[in-house]
Amino acid sequence: MSLLRTIGRGLKADATRVVMTPVESLRNARYTIEGVRSGKIPPSRPLKTLAITLGALVFVSLLLFPLYWVLLSALSPSGGSIYSTGGFSLLPDEVSFSAFLWVLGDLILPAYDITLGIPFTNLEIVSSTPGIELLDVSDYGVTNPSGFKGFFWNSLTVAIPTVLLSMSLIVPASYALSRRKFIFRRKILFGYVLLTQVGGGLGIALLIGLYTIYVQFGLNDSKLALSVYYAATAVPFNTWLLKTYMDGIPVSYEEAAVVDGAPPWRVVTEVILPLSKAGLATVFIFTFLTGWTEFVVAQTLLGTDNYTLPVGLFSLVSEYSVPWAKFSAFALTFASPIVVVYLFAQRYIEGGLSFSGMEG
Amino acid sequence: MSTANRIGRRLEEVPFLDRSDVSLLLVLPGLFLFSAFMLFPIVYLVGISFTNAEPSNLFAGEGAFSVLTFGEAEFVGLTNYLNVLFDGTWSLVLFGETWLTLPINGQFWNSFGITWLFVATSVLLKLVVSISIALVVTGKRVRGKRVMRSLIIAPMGLPAIFTITVWRGIFSSAEFGLANQLLTSVGFSSVAWLSQRWMAFLAYNVTEAWLAYPFMVIITVSALQDVPQELHEAAMVDGAGFVSRFFHVTLPSIKRPVLFATILTSAASFQQFLIPYVFNQGGPARQNELIVVYGYKEAFSFFQYGEGAAISIIAVLFIGAFMWLNVKRGRLADGVDEA
Repeated sequence: MSLLRTIGRGLKADATRVVMTPVESLRNARYTIEGVRSGKIPPSRPLKTLAITLGALVFVSLLLFPLYWVLLSALSPSGGSIYSTGGFSLLPDEVSFSAFLWVLGDLILPAYDITLGIPFTNLEIVSSTPGIELLDVSDYGVTNPSGFKGFFWNSLTVAIPTVLLSMSLIVPASYALSRRKFIFRRKILFGYVLLTQVGGGLGIALLIGLYTIYVQFGLNDSKLALSVYYAATAVPFNTWLLKTYMDGIPVSYEEAAVVDGAPPWRVVTEVILPLSKAGLATVFIFTFLTGWTEFVVAQTLLGTDNYTLPVGLFSLVSEYSVPWAKFSAFALTFASPIVVVYLFAQRYIEGGLSFSGMEG
Repeated sequence: MSTANRIGRRLEEVPFLDRSDVSLLLVLPGLFLFSAFMLFPIVYLVGISFTNAEPSNLFAGEGAFSVLTFGEAEFVGLTNYLNVLFDGTWSLVLFGETWLTLPINGQFWNSFGITWLFVATSVLLKLVVSISIALVVTGKRVRGKRVMRSLIIAPMGLPAIFTITVWRGIFSSAEFGLANQLLTSVGFSSVAWLSQRWMAFLAYNVTEAWLAYPFMVIITVSALQDVPQELHEAAMVDGAGFVSRFFHVTLPSIKRPVLFATILTSAASFQQFLIPYVFNQGGPARQNELIVVYGYKEAFSFFQYGEGAAISIIAVLFIGAFMWLNVKRGRLADGVDEA
């Protein structure tokens, strides 16, 4: 559980920094005021710093304004507007969570009857599980909730096979590429590096071929076939990523294990894998997000019943009838967990990436 | 020197497997899966581009075997490529007057031209935006740089489809579109962003810049931090102001990494699909179809699989050239050589 401990330590450092920053700046400010008062620091200097910092803050907030706008629309009762009848306003007049309730829909576990027949008799034991009502959105005046849960389930059933399959291919390959010498090793590595540069475009250009093949094999509209495709596309980048991570593990650990008489498989399971936990976590997240966020291929191959979350989001925006509040709430519910996970992973990503084929 | 001798020597050079090559078996499954789902479709796409494939004949055959015969589509040679490049006419119209008419496929060359125009304008915009952001968040007098930097990079974690649908909302002509709200609040009349060609093109550019700036900012910031402070001090002693220091000290020092980022990001612009597709399916009257969108729509909206495949192959050639350029210029493959 050293990985959790590392994450915990990182979080703690972050929290201390957040708490300490105002204190620090207050101390700095007091020092500066003292300096100005006693005449050691000319008053124009802190004023200039203040002005430039304020300018930078305005710049940053303008840049991130679209995100604030989405949040604002999601929280507004009918559809967000910064320009209401009362004029230009940056704060919502009233906050309502009904859009998020619309996204979430009912959370009700229906009651099931469990019937247990006793053999050789006519007796049956019937017991009903209690229905659990966590949330009934109609209590809050929300009718006809979104299909979020269905999309969520579809995304999950696409992403989990993707992760399982691609991890089982990536881990042995990156170990071999990092630690063993064999024929064609350099050629394969070069090919993988070349292919890490592929943005979404190549996949889309090939989509005509892929679609035709899938249709002829009758595989379109199959979530499992889609996840096999995602796993295949995830192979080059993630293999290279994990390989560079494993390169960073000192060989001396393995030598020590070999001297102690460990067979090769134990060297892998007891030395390499535990030491590359952070790399494995990063690859896990990346492969999961491959299936979770991809749009074009999913939209082309899947039928309406199997739509994943990104396709569901797109189907909202292409209809004019859906109000902004609902759209924004849907988009935020889809994206915010990903951002949180991404911010966690960022520590490891930046460490492991000496190059950046990160786009798209 | 006889031929047999030469063949013998060639055979000696062919590498043979020995015991240590067993490790190749660990790599092969991944390589096989990747090839089956990426390389086979390329080969298949090339095949389709030489046939008159349409849904009626492409999906006609019986059973899985018909994959190999492209259904019942017929071989038509280079016809698709010739049609894509030279079928129809293209006229240069400026200020309501026709200046020039050429016997080439206007739809394709329009898409090709708008794609390169998009690459040029969006890359320029991305460079300007991200270098200025990077200068702001590394500025000497700015306080709270670390917090600003992590805030500003946060959009990188957003899924592309989220960002693009949100920007679609911003440029929407419906009541609550943010862009129009801002325009009307300062007294301008609202604009139908997505139903005018150049307004839509502008919207594409802005969105692409917002989508790509975090990546560019990361690279530029780390390059800026490597610029030696002594250079700046020396220039200041010589009396250089902020602007001349920027052009004569900062820019030359960050040139290499920024150039590398530029190549990467132009490749991304060239392959942009989601923005035009989500915004307005490639513009009013197919005017803004970037090349990947054009190939996609030719196949899936107009059911011309053969021509769609030919267009996609042309796009793939350019994407491949970009990939090669990245690896060569960015020295990405350096890691391959070590141990």
